[in-house]
Amino acid sequence: MYKLELNKLIQTIKQQEAKQVLIQLPDGMKHKADQVADAIEEETSAKAFIWLGSCYGACDLPLGMDILNIDLVVQWGHNKFNKEEW
Amino acid sequence: MPRLLLIDAKWEGEIKLTPKLKSHLKKTKPKSIDLFASVQFADITNFLKELKKLNIKVNMTKAKRTDKPLQILGCDCYPDSFKDELDSDMILYLGDGMFHPKALILAVDKPITIFDPISDHVKVVSRNDMEKEFMIKKRNLKKYLDAERIGILVTIKPGQQYFIAAKKLKEQLEQKGKKAYIFIDDTLNPSHYENYPFIQCWVNTACPRIGTDDIVNIQQAMINLRDALDPIKAFENLE
Repeated sequence: MYKLELNKLIQTIKQQEAKQVLIQLPDGMKHKADQVADAIEEETSAKAFIWLGSCYGACDLPLGMDILNIDLVVQWGHNKFNKEEW
Repeated sequence: MPRLLLIDAKWEGEIKLTPKLKSHLKKTKPKSIDLFASVQFADITNFLKELKKLNIKVNMTKAKRTDKPLQILGCDCYPDSFKDELDSDMILYLGDGMFHPKALILAVDKPITIFDPISDHVKVVSRNDMEKEFMIKKRNLKKYLDAERIGILVTIKPGQQYFIAAKKLKEQLEQKGKKAYIFIDDTLNPSHYENYPFIQCWVNTACPRIGTDDIVNIQQAMINLRDALDPIKAFENLE
């Protein structure tokens, strides 16, 4: 029902020569995680990993990924936002 | 730090002015509309052309935090979240679910018309649909003003992290003779709050929807950072 844009994803992984990619999907799209992971591992040489937890917005990115040597985080369902300053 | 790719996940269908929505507009006769959508439903070129045919002026008021006109985020839930006043005859939201329409309900005391392009369903919602949230919000504000020991919640998620503001609030509260403690976590989990029974009111500095939607599910009083900084204005927004 919602576009996964797998072509854009594969192209970005190849262009950036990403080796380890984290997939972060909102709840309504989490059931498609296997489809995305399979596409990454079949069409590129990168390994795909799936974020188990929340995906409430671009403000809700997984932390600590550098420790795991994840070099690309891909989040669906949200776009760039301007953080309010206090 | 890993690089980041954001994918909009647009809806695969086409947003159309369906007979059901057209009939609703003919019945309610708005001359102008403040139009909003979530990013999945923000491609509306044909929809706009069809609205024009009905002689309806469309305002695509930009929410300050978003990158594009029309789009709304869940955190755009305060009256000043938008660049312009929402003063059209109708506020129309395109999309599914209630998360984004609830942001509009919280921001303005006006009816919000929702058109779900997937189910072709039209409905009108208002503050009556969030009566419980508003009642508890008001109660929590009173509890905050009376509280002597306050817990300030800070997330380490960069997009929602307001550590400096939390420290400023702690200073302000302590100048008023109150005790304030800052608690840090990654994801704010309500089940952890009960481990600190000495806290009389929590102040959430992360996503503002935690202090509006989630408060109906927890026993402890909680308000948002901006309401803690200006509780009088927060009361005014609720009236």
